[in-house]
Amino acid sequence: MSTQKTYKELLAENERLRLQLEEATETIHAIRTGQVDALVVNDQDGRHQLYTLKTADQTYRVFIEKMNEGAVTLNEEGIILYCNSMFASIAGVPLSKVIGLPFASFIPDGFREIYNDLFSSGWLEDNKTEISIKSGDRLVPCQLSVTTLDLDEGVSLSVIITDLTFQKETQTLLKLNNQRLEQANAELEKSNHDLQQFASVASHDLQEPLRKISIFSTMLRSRHGDELPADSAMYLNKIIASSNRMKTMIIDILSYSKLSTHTDHFALTDLTEIVKDVVDDCEIMIQEKNATVIIGDLPAAEVNRGQMRQVFQNLISNSIKFSKVDVPPVIHVTSQDASVTDHVSKNGNSQEAISIQFSDNGIGFNELYQDKIFSLFERLNTKDQYEGSGIGLAISKKIIGKHNGTISAISREGEGSCFIIRLPLHQNKS
Amino acid sequence: MPATLTKILLADDDLDDRWFFEDFLKGREDIILLPAATSGIEVIQYLDNLTSANDLPDIIILDHNMPGLNGKETLALLRSRNRYNEIPVLIYSTYIGQKLIDECMKLGAASVMLKPSSPDEYNGMIDRILSDTAKKTDY
Repeated sequence: MSTQKTYKELLAENERLRLQLEEATETIHAIRTGQVDALVVNDQDGRHQLYTLKTADQTYRVFIEKMNEGAVTLNEEGIILYCNSMFASIAGVPLSKVIGLPFASFIPDGFREIYNDLFSSGWLEDNKTEISIKSGDRLVPCQLSVTTLDLDEGVSLSVIITDLTFQKETQTLLKLNNQRLEQANAELEKSNHDLQQFASVASHDLQEPLRKISIFSTMLRSRHGDELPADSAMYLNKIIASSNRMKTMIIDILSYSKLSTHTDHFALTDLTEIVKDVVDDCEIMIQEKNATVIIGDLPAAEVNRGQMRQVFQNLISNSIKFSKVDVPPVIHVTSQDASVTDHVSKNGNSQEAISIQFSDNGIGFNELYQDKIFSLFERLNTKDQYEGSGIGLAISKKIIGKHNGTISAISREGEGSCFIIRLPLHQNKS
Repeated sequence: MPATLTKILLADDDLDDRWFFEDFLKGREDIILLPAATSGIEVIQYLDNLTSANDLPDIIILDHNMPGLNGKETLALLRSRNRYNEIPVLIYSTYIGQKLIDECMKLGAASVMLKPSSPDEYNGMIDRILSDTAKKTDY
Protein backbone atom coordinates (compact mmCIF):
# COMPACT_ATOMS: atom_id res chain seq x y z
CA MET A 1 0.00 0.00 0.00
CA SER A 2 1.31 3.32 -0.92
CA THR A 3 2.49 5.61 1.83
CA GLN A 4 1.29 8.47 -0.25
CA LYS A 5 -1.78 10.00 1.25
CA THR A 6 -4.40 11.62 -0.70
CA TYR A 7 -5.24 15.26 -0.06
CA LYS A 8 -8.51 14.12 1.41
CA GLU A 9 -6.71 11.77 3.78
CA LEU A 10 -4.32 14.54 4.80
CA LEU A 11 -7.22 16.85 5.51
CA ALA A 12 -8.82 14.19 7.68
CA GLU A 13 -5.59 13.57 9.55
CA ASN A 14 -5.12 17.28 10.00
CA GLU A 15 -8.56 17.54 11.46
CA ARG A 16 -7.86 14.61 13.85
CA LEU A 17 -4.62 16.19 15.01
CA ARG A 18 -6.31 19.55 15.48
CA LEU A 19 -8.94 17.92 17.71
CA GLN A 20 -6.20 16.11 19.63
CA LEU A 21 -4.37 19.41 20.09
CA GLU A 22 -7.55 21.09 21.23
CA GLU A 23 -8.11 18.29 23.70
CA ALA A 24 -4.54 18.58 24.98
CA THR A 25 -4.84 22.36 25.29
CA GLU A 26 -8.05 21.91 27.19
CA THR A 27 -6.44 19.34 29.49
CA ILE A 28 -3.52 21.65 30.14
CA HIS A 29 -5.90 24.49 30.86
CA ALA A 30 -7.88 22.26 33.15
CA ILE A 31 -4.70 21.23 34.91
CA ARG A 32 -3.59 24.84 35.17
CA THR A 33 -6.88 26.03 36.59
CA GLY A 34 -7.04 23.13 39.01
CA GLN A 35 -10.06 21.36 37.53
CA VAL A 36 -8.28 18.02 37.25
CA ASP A 37 -7.40 15.87 40.24
CA ALA A 38 -5.75 12.96 38.48
CA LEU A 39 -4.78 11.70 35.08
CA VAL A 40 -4.91 8.11 33.94
CA VAL A 41 -2.27 7.42 31.33
CA ASN A 42 -1.38 4.20 29.54
CA ASP A 43 2.25 3.36 30.02
CA GLN A 44 4.51 1.51 27.59
CA ASP A 45 3.32 -1.87 28.81
CA GLY A 46 -0.26 -0.83 28.27
CA ARG A 47 -0.96 -0.66 31.99
CA HIS A 48 -2.84 2.20 33.52
CA GLN A 49 -0.71 4.65 35.45
CA LEU A 50 -2.35 7.13 37.79
CA TYR A 51 -0.81 10.56 38.09
CA THR A 52 -2.13 12.60 40.95
CA LEU A 53 -2.00 16.30 40.48
CA LYS A 54 -1.45 18.41 43.51
CA THR A 55 -4.26 20.77 42.62
CA ALA A 56 -4.01 22.73 45.79
CA ASP A 57 -0.35 23.30 45.13
CA GLN A 58 -0.89 26.72 43.63
CA THR A 59 -3.03 27.88 46.56
CA TYR A 60 -0.48 26.62 49.04
CA ARG A 61 2.33 28.33 47.18
CA VAL A 62 0.47 31.61 47.48
CA PHE A 63 -0.05 31.00 51.17
CA ILE A 64 3.56 30.13 51.69
CA GLU A 65 4.73 33.14 49.70
CA LYS A 66 2.56 35.50 51.71
CA MET A 67 2.95 34.07 55.19
CA ASN A 68 4.95 35.68 57.96
CA GLU A 69 7.17 32.66 58.49
CA GLY A 70 10.14 31.68 56.45
CA ALA A 71 9.68 28.41 54.56
CA VAL A 72 12.32 26.28 52.83
CA THR A 73 12.47 22.76 51.54
CA LEU A 74 15.68 20.80 51.73
CA ASN A 75 16.90 17.70 49.95
CA GLU A 76 18.69 14.89 51.71
CA GLU A 77 22.00 16.76 51.51
CA GLY A 78 20.46 19.78 53.21
CA ILE A 79 20.55 21.87 50.03
CA ILE A 80 17.78 24.44 49.71
CA LEU A 81 15.41 23.41 46.91
CA TYR A 82 12.80 26.05 47.51
CA CYS A 83 12.55 29.10 49.69
CA ASN A 84 9.91 31.80 50.16
CA SER A 85 10.71 35.48 50.20
CA MET A 86 10.20 35.76 53.98
CA PHE A 87 13.11 33.43 54.60
CA ALA A 88 15.28 35.44 52.21
CA SER A 89 14.29 38.55 54.12
CA ILE A 90 15.06 36.94 57.53
CA ALA A 91 18.45 35.79 56.24
CA GLY A 92 19.04 39.13 54.53
CA VAL A 93 19.98 37.50 51.21
CA PRO A 94 18.26 37.99 47.81
CA LEU A 95 15.79 35.19 47.08
CA SER A 96 17.59 34.17 43.91
CA LYS A 97 20.83 33.50 45.80
CA VAL A 98 19.30 31.29 48.49
CA ILE A 99 18.24 28.35 46.33
CA GLY A 100 21.00 25.82 45.94
CA LEU A 101 22.84 26.84 49.10
CA PRO A 102 23.20 24.39 51.98
CA PHE A 103 20.80 25.46 54.76
CA ALA A 104 23.65 24.93 57.21
CA SER A 105 25.40 27.97 55.75
CA PHE A 106 22.81 30.13 57.54
CA ILE A 107 23.49 28.46 60.88
CA PRO A 108 26.15 30.13 63.06
CA ASP A 109 28.95 27.89 64.40
CA GLY A 110 27.61 27.70 67.93
CA PHE A 111 24.31 26.21 66.74
CA ARG A 112 25.60 23.63 64.22
CA GLU A 113 25.15 20.70 66.54
CA ILE A 114 21.59 21.61 67.41
CA TYR A 115 20.84 22.05 63.72
CA ASN A 116 22.43 18.73 62.75
CA ASP A 117 20.34 16.96 65.37
CA LEU A 118 17.20 18.62 64.10
CA PHE A 119 18.06 17.88 60.48
CA SER A 120 18.71 14.20 61.07
CA SER A 121 15.75 13.66 63.37
CA GLY A 122 13.43 15.67 61.11
CA TRP A 123 13.49 12.91 58.50
CA LEU A 124 12.07 10.49 61.05
CA GLU A 125 9.52 12.64 62.82
CA ASP A 126 8.27 16.23 63.11
CA ASN A 127 10.48 18.25 65.35
CA LYS A 128 11.17 21.81 66.40
CA THR A 129 13.88 23.78 68.12
CA GLU A 130 15.00 27.33 68.86
CA ILE A 131 18.11 28.40 67.04
CA SER A 132 19.79 31.51 65.65
CA ILE A 133 19.96 32.27 61.93
CA LYS A 134 22.75 34.34 60.41
CA SER A 135 21.53 37.52 58.82
CA GLY A 136 24.56 39.45 57.61
CA ASP A 137 26.48 40.35 60.76
CA ARG A 138 23.69 39.77 63.16
CA LEU A 139 21.92 36.72 64.52
CA VAL A 140 18.17 36.36 64.37
CA PRO A 141 16.56 34.19 67.05
CA CYS A 142 14.24 31.75 65.28
CA GLN A 143 12.15 28.72 65.85
CA LEU A 144 12.68 25.98 63.26
CA SER A 145 10.04 23.35 62.82
CA VAL A 146 10.71 20.53 60.42
CA THR A 147 8.49 18.00 58.76
CA THR A 148 8.99 15.68 55.81
CA LEU A 149 7.23 16.46 52.55
CA ASP A 150 6.27 13.82 50.02
CA LEU A 151 6.73 15.46 46.63
CA ASP A 152 6.61 13.87 43.17
CA GLU A 153 10.31 14.55 42.86
CA GLY A 154 10.92 12.58 46.05
CA VAL A 155 10.90 13.19 49.77
CA SER A 156 12.17 16.53 51.01
CA LEU A 157 12.36 18.19 54.37
CA SER A 158 10.29 21.30 54.88
CA VAL A 159 11.48 23.83 57.42
CA ILE A 160 9.30 26.62 58.79
CA ILE A 161 11.36 29.46 60.25
CA THR A 162 9.61 31.75 62.76
CA ASP A 163 11.40 34.98 63.61
CA LEU A 164 11.40 35.23 67.40
CA THR A 165 13.09 38.64 67.62
CA PHE A 166 9.93 40.46 68.62
CA GLN A 167 8.90 37.71 70.99
CA LYS A 168 12.34 37.69 72.63
CA GLU A 169 12.30 41.45 72.99
CA THR A 170 8.86 41.29 74.55
CA GLN A 171 10.07 38.56 76.87
CA THR A 172 13.06 40.62 77.94
CA LEU A 173 10.88 43.65 78.43
CA LEU A 174 8.39 41.60 80.38
CA LYS A 175 11.13 40.20 82.57
CA LEU A 176 12.48 43.68 83.18
CA ASN A 177 9.03 45.01 83.99
CA ASN A 178 8.43 42.10 86.32
CA GLN A 179 11.66 42.84 88.13
CA ARG A 180 10.69 46.48 88.49
CA LEU A 181 7.27 45.49 89.70
CA GLU A 182 8.74 43.11 92.24
CA GLN A 183 11.03 45.82 93.50
CA ALA A 184 8.22 48.34 93.73
CA ASN A 185 6.15 45.71 95.46
CA ALA A 186 8.84 45.04 98.03
CA GLU A 187 9.20 48.76 98.70
CA LEU A 188 5.46 49.10 99.03
CA GLU A 189 5.28 46.17 101.36
CA LYS A 190 7.94 47.72 103.54
CA SER A 191 6.27 51.10 103.67
CA ASN A 192 2.97 49.37 104.27
CA HIS A 193 4.52 47.50 107.15
CA ASP A 194 6.00 50.73 108.53
CA LEU A 195 2.63 52.38 108.25
CA GLN A 196 0.93 49.54 110.09
CA GLN A 197 3.60 49.69 112.74
CA PHE A 198 3.00 53.40 113.03
CA ALA A 199 -0.76 53.06 113.14
CA SER A 200 -0.51 50.39 115.78
CA VAL A 201 2.04 52.18 118.00
CA ALA A 202 0.32 55.55 117.63
CA SER A 203 -3.05 54.03 118.45
CA HIS A 204 -1.77 52.28 121.54
CA ASP A 205 0.01 55.35 122.81
CA LEU A 206 -2.96 57.57 122.06
CA GLN A 207 -5.21 55.28 124.03
CA GLU A 208 -3.39 56.05 127.27
CA PRO A 209 -4.06 59.78 127.61
CA LEU A 210 -7.47 59.32 126.05
CA ARG A 211 -8.49 56.84 128.70
CA LYS A 212 -7.53 59.37 131.37
CA ILE A 213 -9.44 62.20 129.70
CA SER A 214 -12.43 59.93 129.65
CA ILE A 215 -12.07 58.81 133.27
CA PHE A 216 -11.40 62.28 134.68
CA SER A 217 -14.18 63.98 132.76
CA THR A 218 -16.63 61.25 133.72
CA MET A 219 -15.56 61.63 137.34
CA LEU A 220 -16.05 65.37 137.12
CA ARG A 221 -19.53 64.86 135.80
CA SER A 222 -20.57 62.23 138.32
CA ARG A 223 -19.02 63.91 141.37
CA HIS A 224 -19.41 67.61 140.62
CA GLY A 225 -22.00 67.70 137.85
CA ASP A 226 -24.55 69.32 140.15
CA GLU A 227 -22.25 72.19 141.03
CA LEU A 228 -21.49 73.09 137.41
CA PRO A 229 -23.32 75.92 135.62
CA ALA A 230 -25.49 74.66 132.76
CA ASP A 231 -23.11 75.63 129.96
CA SER A 232 -20.11 74.05 131.74
CA ALA A 233 -22.04 70.81 132.08
CA MET A 234 -22.64 70.98 128.33
CA TYR A 235 -18.91 71.52 127.66
CA LEU A 236 -18.15 68.54 129.82
CA ASN A 237 -20.60 66.40 127.92
CA LYS A 238 -18.93 67.48 124.68
CA ILE A 239 -15.53 66.44 126.08
CA ILE A 240 -16.88 63.04 127.06
CA ALA A 241 -18.63 62.54 123.71
CA SER A 242 -15.50 63.56 121.82
CA SER A 243 -13.25 61.25 123.79
CA ASN A 244 -15.69 58.39 123.20
CA ARG A 245 -15.62 59.16 119.50
CA MET A 246 -11.85 59.21 119.48
CA LYS A 247 -11.78 55.88 121.28
CA THR A 248 -13.98 54.39 118.56
CA MET A 249 -11.69 55.82 115.90
CA ILE A 250 -8.56 54.46 117.50
CA ILE A 251 -10.08 51.00 117.86
CA ASP A 252 -11.21 51.16 114.22
CA ILE A 253 -7.77 52.24 112.99
CA LEU A 254 -6.26 49.38 114.93
CA SER A 255 -8.61 46.85 113.42
CA TYR A 256 -8.00 48.33 109.97
CA SER A 257 -4.23 48.03 110.34
CA LYS A 258 -4.58 44.54 111.81
CA LEU A 259 -6.44 43.46 108.67
CA SER A 260 -3.22 43.78 106.71
CA THR A 261 -1.20 41.57 108.99
CA HIS A 262 -3.51 38.74 109.94
CA THR A 263 -3.24 35.54 108.02
CA ASP A 264 -6.55 34.63 106.54
CA HIS A 265 -8.66 31.81 107.67
CA PHE A 266 -11.54 30.94 105.38
CA ALA A 267 -14.25 28.43 106.18
CA LEU A 268 -17.47 27.48 104.45
CA THR A 269 -20.08 29.57 106.25
CA ASP A 270 -23.78 30.16 105.73
CA LEU A 271 -24.03 33.85 104.87
CA THR A 272 -27.70 34.02 105.87
CA GLU A 273 -26.65 32.98 109.35
CA ILE A 274 -24.10 35.81 109.53
CA VAL A 275 -26.71 38.36 108.47
CA LYS A 276 -29.11 37.01 111.12
CA ASP A 277 -26.38 37.27 113.77
CA VAL A 278 -25.75 40.87 112.80
CA VAL A 279 -29.47 41.68 112.94
CA ASP A 280 -29.56 40.18 116.45
CA ASP A 281 -26.59 42.34 117.43
CA CYS A 282 -28.25 45.48 116.12
CA GLU A 283 -31.53 44.72 117.87
CA ILE A 284 -31.51 47.82 120.09
CA MET A 285 -30.68 50.08 117.15
CA ILE A 286 -33.34 48.38 115.00
CA GLN A 287 -36.01 48.83 117.66
CA GLU A 288 -35.06 52.46 118.31
CA LYS A 289 -35.43 53.36 114.65
CA ASN A 290 -38.32 50.98 114.02
CA ALA A 291 -36.26 49.38 111.25
CA THR A 292 -37.11 46.28 109.20
CA VAL A 293 -34.47 43.97 107.75
CA ILE A 294 -35.70 41.57 105.07
CA ILE A 295 -33.22 38.77 104.54
CA GLY A 296 -33.34 36.83 101.28
CA ASP A 297 -31.77 33.48 100.56
CA LEU A 298 -27.98 33.74 100.80
CA PRO A 299 -25.80 30.72 100.01
CA ALA A 300 -22.82 29.42 101.95
CA ALA A 301 -19.39 30.73 100.94
CA GLU A 302 -15.80 30.31 102.06
CA VAL A 303 -15.28 33.39 104.21
CA ASN A 304 -13.57 34.59 107.33
CA ARG A 305 -16.65 34.62 109.51
CA GLY A 306 -15.57 37.39 111.88
CA GLN A 307 -14.51 39.68 109.06
CA MET A 308 -17.62 39.09 106.96
CA ARG A 309 -19.75 39.76 110.00
CA GLN A 310 -17.95 43.08 110.41
CA VAL A 311 -18.80 43.99 106.79
CA PHE A 312 -22.49 43.09 107.13
CA GLN A 313 -22.60 44.89 110.46
CA ASN A 314 -21.14 48.04 108.88
CA LEU A 315 -23.59 47.98 105.99
CA ILE A 316 -26.69 47.29 108.06
CA SER A 317 -25.82 49.79 110.78
CA ASN A 318 -25.03 52.38 108.09
CA SER A 319 -28.44 51.85 106.54
CA ILE A 320 -30.10 52.33 109.90
CA LYS A 321 -27.88 55.27 110.77
CA PHE A 322 -28.41 57.09 107.49
CA SER A 323 -32.18 56.73 107.41
CA LYS A 324 -34.67 59.51 106.75
CA VAL A 325 -36.01 61.18 109.87
CA ASP A 326 -39.65 60.45 109.12
CA VAL A 327 -39.37 57.12 107.28
CA PRO A 328 -38.68 53.90 109.22
CA PRO A 329 -35.68 52.19 107.60
CA VAL A 330 -36.31 49.10 105.47
CA ILE A 331 -33.27 47.09 104.43
CA HIS A 332 -33.35 44.33 101.84
CA VAL A 333 -30.54 41.80 101.77
CA THR A 334 -30.65 39.72 98.59
CA SER A 335 -28.25 37.68 96.49
CA GLN A 336 -27.88 36.39 92.95
CA ASP A 337 -25.57 34.02 91.21
CA ALA A 338 -22.69 35.94 89.64
CA SER A 339 -20.50 33.12 88.38
CA VAL A 340 -18.25 33.82 85.44
CA THR A 341 -16.95 31.33 82.93
CA ASP A 342 -13.59 32.03 81.42
CA HIS A 343 -14.16 31.74 77.69
CA VAL A 344 -10.93 33.48 76.81
CA SER A 345 -8.39 30.94 77.93
CA LYS A 346 -8.99 27.45 76.67
CA ASN A 347 -9.29 25.82 80.09
CA GLY A 348 -12.87 27.12 80.41
CA ASN A 349 -12.37 27.60 84.15
CA SER A 350 -15.35 29.08 85.83
CA GLN A 351 -15.47 31.03 89.02
CA GLU A 352 -18.51 30.48 91.18
CA ALA A 353 -19.47 33.79 92.68
CA ILE A 354 -22.42 35.61 94.14
CA SER A 355 -23.57 39.15 94.25
CA ILE A 356 -25.10 40.32 97.52
CA GLN A 357 -27.13 43.52 97.69
CA PHE A 358 -27.88 45.61 100.74
CA SER A 359 -30.44 48.18 99.67
CA ASP A 360 -32.21 50.70 101.86
CA ASN A 361 -34.69 53.57 101.73
CA GLY A 362 -32.42 56.00 103.56
CA ILE A 363 -31.02 59.43 102.76
CA GLY A 364 -28.71 58.06 100.03
CA PHE A 365 -25.79 60.05 98.70
CA ASN A 366 -24.73 61.85 95.56
CA GLU A 367 -23.35 59.36 93.05
CA LEU A 368 -20.31 61.63 92.69
CA TYR A 369 -19.13 60.08 95.93
CA GLN A 370 -19.72 56.43 95.11
CA ASP A 371 -15.98 55.62 95.11
CA LYS A 372 -14.94 58.16 97.70
CA ILE A 373 -17.09 56.68 100.45
CA PHE A 374 -14.77 53.67 100.64
CA SER A 375 -11.74 55.81 101.53
CA LEU A 376 -10.39 56.09 105.05
CA PHE A 377 -11.93 58.87 107.15
CA GLU A 378 -14.26 59.89 104.35
CA ARG A 379 -17.48 61.37 105.68
CA LEU A 380 -20.28 62.75 103.59
CA ASN A 381 -22.35 63.97 106.51
CA THR A 382 -21.53 66.19 109.45
CA LYS A 383 -20.70 64.29 112.59
CA ASP A 384 -23.27 66.35 114.49
CA GLN A 385 -25.97 64.62 112.50
CA TYR A 386 -24.48 61.18 112.08
CA GLU A 387 -21.95 59.57 114.38
CA GLY A 388 -19.11 57.44 113.12
CA SER A 389 -15.40 57.18 112.58
CA GLY A 390 -15.39 57.24 108.78
CA ILE A 391 -13.53 53.94 108.74
CA GLY A 392 -16.33 51.40 108.47
CA LEU A 393 -16.60 51.27 104.70
CA ALA A 394 -12.80 51.37 104.28
CA ILE A 395 -12.59 48.31 106.53
CA SER A 396 -15.40 46.64 104.59
CA LYS A 397 -13.65 47.25 101.30
CA LYS A 398 -10.40 45.86 102.63
CA ILE A 399 -12.11 42.75 103.96
CA ILE A 400 -13.96 42.10 100.69
CA GLY A 401 -10.67 42.64 98.86
CA LYS A 402 -9.05 40.00 101.06
CA HIS A 403 -11.84 37.65 99.94
CA ASN A 404 -10.97 38.43 96.30
CA GLY A 405 -14.27 40.18 95.87
CA THR A 406 -15.41 43.69 95.18
CA ILE A 407 -17.77 46.12 96.87
CA SER A 408 -19.48 49.03 95.21
CA ALA A 409 -22.38 51.33 95.86
CA ILE A 410 -25.08 52.99 93.84
CA SER A 411 -27.27 55.69 95.22
CA ARG A 412 -29.17 58.85 94.57
CA GLU A 413 -29.59 61.58 97.13
CA GLY A 414 -32.86 61.14 98.99
CA GLU A 415 -33.63 57.81 97.32
CA GLY A 416 -31.74 55.26 99.35
CA SER A 417 -28.51 53.40 98.68
CA CYS A 418 -27.59 49.97 97.44
CA PHE A 419 -24.28 48.33 98.33
CA ILE A 420 -23.25 45.46 96.10
CA ILE A 421 -20.73 42.85 97.14
CA ARG A 422 -19.38 40.43 94.58
CA LEU A 423 -17.88 37.46 96.36
CA PRO A 424 -16.34 34.24 95.04
CA LEU A 425 -17.85 31.19 96.72
CA HIS A 426 -14.46 29.53 97.09
CA GLN A 427 -11.06 30.82 98.11
CA ASN A 428 -7.83 29.43 96.73
CA LYS A 429 -6.09 27.29 99.25
CA SER A 430 -2.49 28.43 99.54
CA MET B 1 -18.24 40.24 155.18
CA PRO B 2 -15.57 37.60 154.55
CA ALA B 3 -13.67 36.30 157.51
CA THR B 4 -10.32 37.41 156.10
CA LEU B 5 -9.83 40.45 153.91
CA THR B 6 -7.94 39.97 150.66
CA LYS B 7 -4.70 41.95 150.62
CA ILE B 8 -4.02 43.45 147.19
CA LEU B 9 -0.69 44.90 146.07
CA LEU B 10 -0.61 47.13 143.00
CA ALA B 11 2.48 48.09 140.99
CA ASP B 12 2.01 50.89 138.48
CA ASP B 13 4.46 53.62 137.49
CA ASP B 14 1.59 55.91 136.51
CA LEU B 15 0.55 58.26 139.31
CA ASP B 16 -2.96 58.79 137.91
CA ASP B 17 -3.54 55.07 137.63
CA ARG B 18 -2.41 54.46 141.20
CA TRP B 19 -4.81 57.19 142.25
CA PHE B 20 -7.75 55.75 140.22
CA PHE B 21 -7.07 52.36 141.80
CA GLU B 22 -7.05 53.72 145.32
CA ASP B 23 -9.93 56.13 144.83
CA PHE B 24 -12.32 53.75 143.11
CA LEU B 25 -11.61 50.78 145.38
CA LYS B 26 -11.09 52.29 148.82
CA GLY B 27 -14.78 52.00 149.66
CA ARG B 28 -14.77 48.20 149.37
CA GLU B 29 -14.94 46.22 152.56
CA ASP B 30 -13.71 42.90 151.22
CA ILE B 31 -10.16 44.01 150.35
CA ILE B 32 -7.17 45.75 151.86
CA LEU B 33 -5.11 47.92 149.52
CA LEU B 34 -1.42 47.61 150.42
CA PRO B 35 0.68 50.72 149.67
CA ALA B 36 1.08 50.73 145.90
CA ALA B 37 4.51 50.14 144.37
CA THR B 38 5.75 52.24 141.45
CA SER B 39 7.91 49.57 139.77
CA GLY B 40 8.55 45.86 139.54
CA ILE B 41 11.75 46.24 141.58
CA GLU B 42 9.77 47.91 144.37
CA VAL B 43 7.41 44.94 144.44
CA ILE B 44 10.29 42.51 144.96
CA GLN B 45 11.92 44.75 147.57
CA TYR B 46 8.62 45.19 149.42
CA LEU B 47 7.98 41.46 149.48
CA ASP B 48 11.55 40.66 150.51
CA ASN B 49 11.23 43.02 153.47
CA LEU B 50 8.17 41.22 154.84
CA THR B 51 9.36 38.97 157.61
CA SER B 52 6.08 37.16 158.19
CA ALA B 53 4.53 35.10 155.42
CA ASN B 54 1.13 36.19 156.82
CA ASP B 55 1.80 39.72 155.64
CA LEU B 56 2.28 38.65 152.01
CA PRO B 57 -0.35 40.00 149.58
CA ASP B 58 -3.10 37.61 148.46
CA ILE B 59 -3.21 39.15 144.99
CA ILE B 60 -0.65 41.17 143.03
CA ILE B 61 -1.75 43.44 140.18
CA LEU B 62 1.06 44.50 137.84
CA ASP B 63 0.97 47.15 135.17
CA HIS B 64 2.72 45.76 132.12
CA ASN B 65 4.35 48.91 130.75
CA MET B 66 6.72 49.89 133.51
CA PRO B 67 10.31 51.10 133.16
CA GLY B 68 12.98 48.71 134.45
CA LEU B 69 11.15 45.46 135.03
CA ASN B 70 7.93 45.35 133.08
CA GLY B 71 4.91 43.41 134.29
CA LYS B 72 5.78 40.23 132.48
CA GLU B 73 9.39 40.27 133.72
CA THR B 74 8.28 40.96 137.28
CA LEU B 75 5.87 38.03 137.01
CA ALA B 76 8.71 35.78 135.81
CA LEU B 77 10.84 36.86 138.75
CA LEU B 78 8.03 36.20 141.23
CA ARG B 79 7.44 32.75 139.76
CA SER B 80 11.14 31.94 140.17
CA ARG B 81 10.96 32.43 143.94
CA ASN B 82 9.36 29.70 146.04
CA ARG B 83 8.13 32.20 148.58
CA TYR B 84 6.04 34.13 146.02
CA ASN B 85 5.32 31.33 143.61
CA GLU B 86 1.73 30.79 144.75
CA ILE B 87 0.52 34.40 144.82
CA PRO B 88 -2.02 35.03 142.03
CA VAL B 89 -0.79 37.77 139.68
CA LEU B 90 -3.00 39.86 137.40
CA ILE B 91 -1.34 41.83 134.61
CA TYR B 92 -3.11 44.87 133.18
CA SER B 93 -2.26 47.38 130.50
CA THR B 94 -3.83 50.05 128.32
CA TYR B 95 -3.28 47.73 125.40
CA ILE B 96 -2.94 43.97 125.39
CA GLY B 97 -2.18 41.85 122.37
CA GLN B 98 -2.67 38.13 122.02
CA LYS B 99 1.10 37.62 122.23
CA LEU B 100 1.34 39.29 125.63
CA ILE B 101 -1.65 37.30 126.89
CA ASP B 102 -0.11 34.02 125.74
CA GLU B 103 3.30 34.78 127.23
CA CYS B 104 1.93 35.91 130.59
CA MET B 105 -0.48 32.99 130.87
CA LYS B 106 2.40 30.65 130.15
CA LEU B 107 4.37 32.27 132.95
CA GLY B 108 1.44 31.56 135.27
CA ALA B 109 -0.52 34.83 135.36
CA ALA B 110 -4.01 34.47 136.82
CA SER B 111 -5.34 36.90 134.25
CA VAL B 112 -4.27 39.49 131.67
CA MET B 113 -6.63 42.38 131.05
CA LEU B 114 -7.19 45.90 129.76
CA LYS B 115 -6.89 48.75 132.25
CA PRO B 116 -10.40 49.64 133.43
CA SER B 117 -11.92 52.91 132.21
CA SER B 118 -14.50 53.64 134.91
CA PRO B 119 -15.15 53.03 138.62
CA ASP B 120 -17.53 50.23 137.68
CA GLU B 121 -14.89 48.56 135.56
CA TYR B 122 -12.35 48.79 138.39
CA ASN B 123 -14.75 47.10 140.75
CA GLY B 124 -15.63 44.51 138.14
CA MET B 125 -11.93 43.69 137.73
CA ILE B 126 -11.57 43.12 141.49
CA ASP B 127 -14.79 41.06 141.67
CA ARG B 128 -13.51 38.82 138.93
CA ILE B 129 -10.06 38.22 140.31
CA LEU B 130 -11.55 37.54 143.76
CA SER B 131 -13.94 34.93 142.44
CA ASP B 132 -11.25 33.38 140.19
CA THR B 133 -8.74 33.01 143.00
CA ALA B 134 -11.40 31.84 145.46
CA LYS B 135 -12.26 28.99 143.07
CA LYS B 136 -8.64 27.98 142.81
CA THR B 137 -8.08 27.77 146.56
CA ASP B 138 -11.08 25.44 146.83
CA TYR B 139 -9.13 22.64 145.23
